[in-house]
Amino acid sequence: MATDGIISIRNVSFHRGDRAIFKNLNCTIAAGKITAIMGPSGTGKTTLLRLIGGQLQPDEGQVLLFGENIARLNRKQLNQLRARMGVLFQSGALFTDLSVFENVAFPLREHMNLSADELYNRVLLKLEDVGLRGARNLMPAQLSGGMARRVALARAVAMDPEMILYDEPFAGQDPIAMAVLQRLIKSLNSQMQLTSVLVSHDIAEACAIADEVILLGEGRVLAHDTPDALYASPDPAVKQFIHGEADGVIPFHFSAPPLQEELRGQS
Amino acid sequence: MSKRWLELSVGLMIVAGLAALVALALQVSGGNLSRNAENYTITALFQNAAGLGSKARVTMAGVTIGEVSAVGIDPNTLMAKVHMKINSQVDYLSIDSSASILTAGLLGEKYVGLTVGAEDDVLVDGDVIEDTQSALVLEELISQFLLNLGTNK
Amino acid sequence: MATIITHITDLGAALLSKLAQIGKALLMLLQAIIVKPKASSLPRLMQQLYVVGVQSLIIMLVSALFIGMVLGLQGYTLLAAYGSEQAVGQMVALTLVRELSPVVAALLFAGRAGSALTAEIGLMKATEQLASLEMFGVDPLHRIVAPRFWAGMISLPLLVAIFSLVGIYGGHLVAVDWLGVYSGSYWGNMQQAVDFNEDVLNGMIKALVFAFLISWIALYQGYTCIPTSQGISAATTRTVVYSSLAILGFDFILTALMFGGAV
Repeated sequence: MATDGIISIRNVSFHRGDRAIFKNLNCTIAAGKITAIMGPSGTGKTTLLRLIGGQLQPDEGQVLLFGENIARLNRKQLNQLRARMGVLFQSGALFTDLSVFENVAFPLREHMNLSADELYNRVLLKLEDVGLRGARNLMPAQLSGGMARRVALARAVAMDPEMILYDEPFAGQDPIAMAVLQRLIKSLNSQMQLTSVLVSHDIAEACAIADEVILLGEGRVLAHDTPDALYASPDPAVKQFIHGEADGVIPFHFSAPPLQEELRGQS
Repeated sequence: MSKRWLELSVGLMIVAGLAALVALALQVSGGNLSRNAENYTITALFQNAAGLGSKARVTMAGVTIGEVSAVGIDPNTLMAKVHMKINSQVDYLSIDSSASILTAGLLGEKYVGLTVGAEDDVLVDGDVIEDTQSALVLEELISQFLLNLGTNK
Repeated sequence: MATIITHITDLGAALLSKLAQIGKALLMLLQAIIVKPKASSLPRLMQQLYVVGVQSLIIMLVSALFIGMVLGLQGYTLLAAYGSEQAVGQMVALTLVRELSPVVAALLFAGRAGSALTAEIGLMKATEQLASLEMFGVDPLHRIVAPRFWAGMISLPLLVAIFSLVGIYGGHLVAVDWLGVYSGSYWGNMQQAVDFNEDVLNGMIKALVFAFLISWIALYQGYTCIPTSQGISAATTRTVVYSSLAILGFDFILTALMFGGAV
């Protein structure tokens, strides 16, 4: 049952201390597609992900998930909603005292009443999807960063969610691991008819698989379009980010008085 | 680290802790666990009960048979009235027993020592000991000593 | 004049913020422990009892032995000057049971188990494991904080009892086996002087209070630390410092309440 806006951000404002991270942010994320949220560091990409997941509450405005205003939900309802979505954290966030198998089995044990055999098979299938069925008895400390992320992905999809949120999935990965992750994100999305939202600043990787891109900057949405349209955009802010220019709308120099005034020994 | 070893060691720790507590109760504190032993209360009037406080020991022939429960003033006689809880098993204190306030060691704590008399009837709950010897007060001793010194010159 | 007023206002603000922190810490604790006990949480409790309790045993045993031995030695030397060296048994026992066992064991516990708890939870926070649990609909306060709290509450009193006993045997080793005090006098004088309710139980009450304080402080610091390596290290330090101060402060209050008025 695809609704046209599975996630809806309406007039959301969010502050951290004195700094306003978002001011009147508005956007809608379409169901069934891979949407990439991008932008320079510090524009609040991860904050937006947290707002969607209900870990943070907006100061103003509403975040609607599957049509429900998350701020209005009690704990139980929020957890029910969360059971319909999977989250892949930046560091994988595997539980260090559990094995790979147990990590993937965790949500299944919590939310479903499966027999031991059913659980076993399901975990094996999910691990197979990410290519790590043979590693199921290892402990997280024995895995490389990329493998840990794949296990975390298997864990995130263990409950067959309708939506997955990825927090910087490509950060710090070698090219092979990146390619593996790209392939997984794409195949999972089409195979399970998911909505995928990924936060990233790896433009090439994200744009290669995203159907739509939301570019954030200055606390608002700068652009929301397909990757091709973004590459062709004349907007200077968009251009600087997409083409990776060192100086532009976001200046190279941190604000400071003129150099001559600050050097010593000058008349 | 296997599950077996984990459960075993936790169990051992708990057993060791409880055993230590029991050992402390019996070996270390002499097992004064029976707070609710049967007692009866008698009182004694002293001229001077200086230094005697509640919880002080009451002994007979050097053996502890009870404790002082309260020290107050008897308004009729204007003497110190000392209430003592005596173990019910000690039921052979004759009614002409005497009570003295003694000191444990030279500068030690004060306690009550009872000496049994010759009568057949025994003290029961509520009785009063009349033959008493007051506490030795150091200042009185010293002044008496100085007085004797003066008169002997 | 203005600076004095500023300083006073700052002091007031700092005090208010500290009170607010204590309030937040209390809320965290209540949220963690006020829950219906479930059989499924028993394995987690067992695991924590091992980490927090069993792994502290060695340091407790060794420290207790040495402290008891030192008490025996010092006690003998001091009492021999008054000819009362036979009373060393009651001196060692009373010192340990009333004061040293609860306080020293608690300080060691804060340094060993308390800092470990803070570091572990801080690291779980930094690696987003706590956020992960939340996203899976599991309350990290129930799953992570509560078993560690109860493990602390159960372990420390047991460790204190063991500490007292081992210390007393340590004193026996020095006084009786090495310095020639009669074994009968050692135990006999001790049994006369130590009252179970007055001394042993009061010591255990202190142990319970300290266990509560240490577990609470350690868990709160870990749960609310800044999730960076610097933040975790700062939180661990705070746990040890605050726990130690709390232990010593409450020890005074409890001692005054329990032993201040007597005899």
